[in-house]
Amino acid sequence: MNPIRKKRIYSILFVFLFSVSGISLILYSLNSNLDYFFTPTELKDRNIPADKRIKVGGMVLSGSVERISSSISFVITDYENSIKVEYEGIVPDLFKEDSGVVVLGNLRDKILFAEEVLAKHDENYMPPNIEINDDN
Amino acid sequence: MIIEISHFLSVLATGLFLLVGYFSILTPSSNSSYISNLIVRTYSHGFFFLLSSFLIYVWLAITDNFSVQYIANHSNTALPIFYKISSIWSAHEGSMFLWIVFLSLWGFLFNIRVKNNEVLKPKTMGVISFILVGFLIFLLATSNPFETILPIPPLNGADINPVLQDPALAIHPPTLYLGYVGFVIPFASAIAFLLYGDSKINWEALVKTWSVSAWVFLTVGITLGSWWAYYELGWGGYWFWDPVENVALMPWLAATAFIHSLGVSIKSSQLRIWTILLSILVFSLSLFGAFIVRSGIIDSVHAFANDPDRGIYLLGFIGLIVFTSVFLFILRLSSIQSLSRIKKFSKQSFISINNILFGALIFSVMLGVTYPLIYEFLFDQKISVGAPFYNAIFIPIVVLAAIFLFFSVDSKWSRSINFKFISAPISFSILLSLAFTIFVMQYFESQSISILASIFAGSLIVFRYIYEIINFIFSKKFINPFSVIAHMSLGLLLISISFNSLLSTERALSINLNTTESYKDLKISFKDIGVENNANYDSIKATFLVEDQTGRTFNLKPEKRKYFTRGQITTETAIHITFLRDIYITIGDQLDDGSWIVNIQINYLIRWIWLSALLMGLAGVILVFSNRVKT
Repeated sequence: MNPIRKKRIYSILFVFLFSVSGISLILYSLNSNLDYFFTPTELKDRNIPADKRIKVGGMVLSGSVERISSSISFVITDYENSIKVEYEGIVPDLFKEDSGVVVLGNLRDKILFAEEVLAKHDENYMPPNIEINDDN
Repeated sequence: MIIEISHFLSVLATGLFLLVGYFSILTPSSNSSYISNLIVRTYSHGFFFLLSSFLIYVWLAITDNFSVQYIANHSNTALPIFYKISSIWSAHEGSMFLWIVFLSLWGFLFNIRVKNNEVLKPKTMGVISFILVGFLIFLLATSNPFETILPIPPLNGADINPVLQDPALAIHPPTLYLGYVGFVIPFASAIAFLLYGDSKINWEALVKTWSVSAWVFLTVGITLGSWWAYYELGWGGYWFWDPVENVALMPWLAATAFIHSLGVSIKSSQLRIWTILLSILVFSLSLFGAFIVRSGIIDSVHAFANDPDRGIYLLGFIGLIVFTSVFLFILRLSSIQSLSRIKKFSKQSFISINNILFGALIFSVMLGVTYPLIYEFLFDQKISVGAPFYNAIFIPIVVLAAIFLFFSVDSKWSRSINFKFISAPISFSILLSLAFTIFVMQYFESQSISILASIFAGSLIVFRYIYEIINFIFSKKFINPFSVIAHMSLGLLLISISFNSLLSTERALSINLNTTESYKDLKISFKDIGVENNANYDSIKATFLVEDQTGRTFNLKPEKRKYFTRGQITTETAIHITFLRDIYITIGDQLDDGSWIVNIQINYLIRWIWLSALLMGLAGVILVFSNRVKT
């Protein structure tokens, strides 16, 4: 093989290996940093390790909100199943009972320890995967 | 009646832009002076019609013409004129209108500043016009801001969203839009170059100033958005990796890579293929941003109302633009040749590496934005990609890029000679940076490798350029002020971000009226709380007297507001700004025992983050003006 062609093949091979390893590194870190979204029902039969961040969406069960000093606990429900949430800090302005909420946090002993509580800035907002028809 | 005139002028402008596009691209003799004069004039007329249409619209908003549905939905007689005007771009239709007017404005400026005998001018104007036509049809057909409520208009408007009632609304969206659409100039010129097919034409030099100007607007626009979100939303923090932030970051990264690559192509006719590809990428990513925000396919604080028709039209049109450009690019690939190979350790080689790293960043952000959509489609499982992913990618790549930048300062254009890995300035900067990093490690007891690495990399750049500046002052060694300021700002940005994440803390406290709580070095006394009635909202206003370790005291007055027109509750943060840190307080709900929940953040060097970004923008301004003086 002539040296120029040989050199060219090497450089193509190098670029190829370089990009493949780069892309796999990126995909790997993507996969290990995903936050899965669940409704309380979807969460019921799943075993989620405590170090895995998850998002849980649903409605705040009325009468479930309890505040002790600066921490707050409440229950997220999809009207079939529910899960208890513990949070330290100020909940968003639109957080209220019977309205939609999405919580990011870690699950330990069936309690979701929240890192972040989001209430969508829209009075008609419904968390994903929940459909409620008021008329029936 | 006036609204119909405004509507008609926009339709007329669409027609004229269509003519420009037709004459400049689809007729064979577009370079005859007769046709090219026709193109220049027709475009200007189209622009003036569109501008008049927009100005009439602004007038209608100022005069509270609620027979216009959009104005009725987003403005109110009680608003000051300032907000009546800004309300135009507070929602989808009006902001799309502004976006298009800005697009045509860039085209108009190009039209009057570039001489008529420039061979690429007619076709560039043609490409811009076709893009304008596509977006004007989108505006008029799917998002018409001129729709009226007849026969009886409402007496008052529905008011602007309270979260948006802020002076920043007047500047953040317009600046950002000017940045996004400004990249139509390099894009259209690159397409004109490809259509023309003569590789001897230097299209890169033609678009340099234009590209850097657009980059300045994008940089400043993103910074303003970060600053606004910080004080408005009450979460603190300067960047949330929200999808809408990400779709602004991607064109910025691509544009930054593009400007570097453009420099190489102008200087030595190398990387030309790559530069063209980047010009297509930057503009496509700008359009992709418009699609993501306006189609409603993602959840975000910015997302406009969901409408599938808009999404489909936009995706189709953007797809058409990207597909056509890439097809044309592949068709002409063989005729564009770089003159020579890039030498090892030359400035060009370092810029190539910078481009590869930026490419990896863009790819990662794109993946982060689109992966949840793909994943849900494939596995029917909702996921989201948050800060941990972006940190895992950005920190190592940016640190690596900073180290390459550090070594590139010594490199020369087109030459690999005289390049040394060990020299006085290099050892000077490495030693000082190492000392600084070790000091941080000891003094702040930090073990975080990513923070220490970023501080090290940031200080490498800063010290290296300080050395250059000293050299410039004492031995008149040439420096490029644009490059020095832009790169030093990057170093400063890295350092500020690292210290911010190293030192900033927050804590929620429950506190009773007339009591004092301490947090860190602060003593916070709850002095007063009361209800205030205002013109369009009621507010609960608290007063805190805060004392820091030096004994200095100041008042902080956070609020919670309830707006009448929409019943919306907003949080108004109270921030005390000092040289090194912000004391940031928001107030939450009252507990049953009468105490209030208060969130306190101490944010270090957060102002420095925005300052670094603005300095980067300033560097761009310097480049634009120094270029103008030369020509």
